[in-house]
Amino acid sequence: MHSDSWSFLALFALAAVGFALAPLIIAWVWARAYSPRKPGAIKNATYECGLASEGTGWIQFQSDIYLYGIVFLVFDVETIFLMPVAAAFQGLSFGACAAMSVFMLLLVEGLVWLWLKGALGSRTKYCYGTGN
Amino acid sequence: MIALEELKSRIAAAVSGAQVEIIPNPSLANQPSILLDGPHARAVARFLRDEPDLAFDYASNVTGVDWPERVIKEKIKVKKETGGVVSETEETIERKTPACLEVVYHLYSMALRHGPLVVRLRTGDRQNDVALPSLTPVWRSCEFQEREVFDLFGVIFQGHHDLRRLLMWEGFKDHPMRKDYVAPDDYEYEPTPHDQTLERARRHYPQEAAQS
Amino acid sequence: MEPEIELQRHGVFTTTVEQLYNWGRKNSLWPLQFGLACCAIEMIAASMARFDIARFGAEVFRPSPRQADLMIVAGTVTKKMAPQVVRLYNQMPEPKYVIAMGACAISGGPFKEGYNVLKGIDRYLPVDVFIPGCPPRPEALLHGLMLLQKKIAAQPLTGPGRPRYLDQNGPSEFPCPSYGAHDLEPLCNHALWQPPSVREELHS
Repeated sequence: MHSDSWSFLALFALAAVGFALAPLIIAWVWARAYSPRKPGAIKNATYECGLASEGTGWIQFQSDIYLYGIVFLVFDVETIFLMPVAAAFQGLSFGACAAMSVFMLLLVEGLVWLWLKGALGSRTKYCYGTGN
Repeated sequence: MIALEELKSRIAAAVSGAQVEIIPNPSLANQPSILLDGPHARAVARFLRDEPDLAFDYASNVTGVDWPERVIKEKIKVKKETGGVVSETEETIERKTPACLEVVYHLYSMALRHGPLVVRLRTGDRQNDVALPSLTPVWRSCEFQEREVFDLFGVIFQGHHDLRRLLMWEGFKDHPMRKDYVAPDDYEYEPTPHDQTLERARRHYPQEAAQS
Repeated sequence: MEPEIELQRHGVFTTTVEQLYNWGRKNSLWPLQFGLACCAIEMIAASMARFDIARFGAEVFRPSPRQADLMIVAGTVTKKMAPQVVRLYNQMPEPKYVIAMGACAISGGPFKEGYNVLKGIDRYLPVDVFIPGCPPRPEALLHGLMLLQKKIAAQPLTGPGRPRYLDQNGPSEFPCPSYGAHDLEPLCNHALWQPPSVREELHS
């Protein structure tokens, strides 16, 4: 019986890998036969709405765009932590409430800091590029 | 709207040295225009915009005209004295107006709701003396339109902060809206040609090729 | 085709790989958002509720040429815009198709004598379907799309009649015209377009 279940497992594992690989192999074979490589200078150039592009499309983005991502992540994680607290709110001891309050106060302090720094405000001049 | 004669006298009073000429328009449109001189044009434009009861704050259209040299025949009455008898006869004299490029501005007043006032500026020449003051510092809407007039007619606007071609590309050499512009001879057959197109077709498809 | 239709009548559906491949491609043509002038309004109307190009699979008009496989040149192509049209066509991945919609894209249209009008986009690009009209109605655009679908369905995978992208010797891209002093240089792509042939009535 042991060997039976292990062999079933092996068979299913093989089938799973085959299920994933089979379309890839078919696509690779098709591409070898019916998708000849035909590169060109203009074809591979950077897209710039039809204008002749100079250089690559890798520019230096304004660094405080990432702040939006970080702010979202931090407060999202805080929300996740708050959920079990909210679920067990009725039966919490005083120590637990105090710890949770300290946690929340720290994050509120972070929010206040961001507010004062202006990362939450509306942007009047927002342009990609090197500075500005 | 104010009558043009009164406007002419007010402009002469406000901007010293300005030469204003009223050009009548005897056609059905009946839209006479005023002709300003180049050096005082911007001062007159500021006067037209800033004067409280004129308040022409909107330049809706700027366009160009290419005037070739024209011969104008005028009939005038001449008094002749022959043998003691004074008689009046009509003689036609011919007057030549020089060739020039002209820029025409249509001004409206949004505040006082009157208009249009048609203002013309003429260059001295069609080849060399083609500079005129730009009225973009007075009315912002002239910016693109003066670029178009520069592109299509070749009038150079002094004081325009960004005078480049608008419709044609930077390396283009001609000014397409001039009367002497010759389009490149890039013929393509079209059905039922006539007149000029037929001439071009015959030139491009000579008789020998047709018979072969 | 006949034995397949016979079999279909009996309820058996057979197909070849080629038919399947072409069927998938023709029913999911993604146009490149390329409206230049008034024909663009009719193209937009064709993509709206009443005429609905989405039922032909062409609902997503892509803004980037890298994601599109059909370029509907709708409107007058000015000489200033012509190099950019050709460059965008080159930046589309194969297989790609061009529909010239409207009189201006076919041959210059009513503005043919203009100083800035390119006399037809087929001077620089290989056009698959021409849709005459000024502007053509949305139904005409849908009819042109259906003609293109028929053309795609008939494209073989191998053999001498195979399309350009399967042919290793075919051109991979088309040269962009450059801005000359008086006109575009070159005037046309001589491999693609020749002036129409002589007509005898010119010298009658």
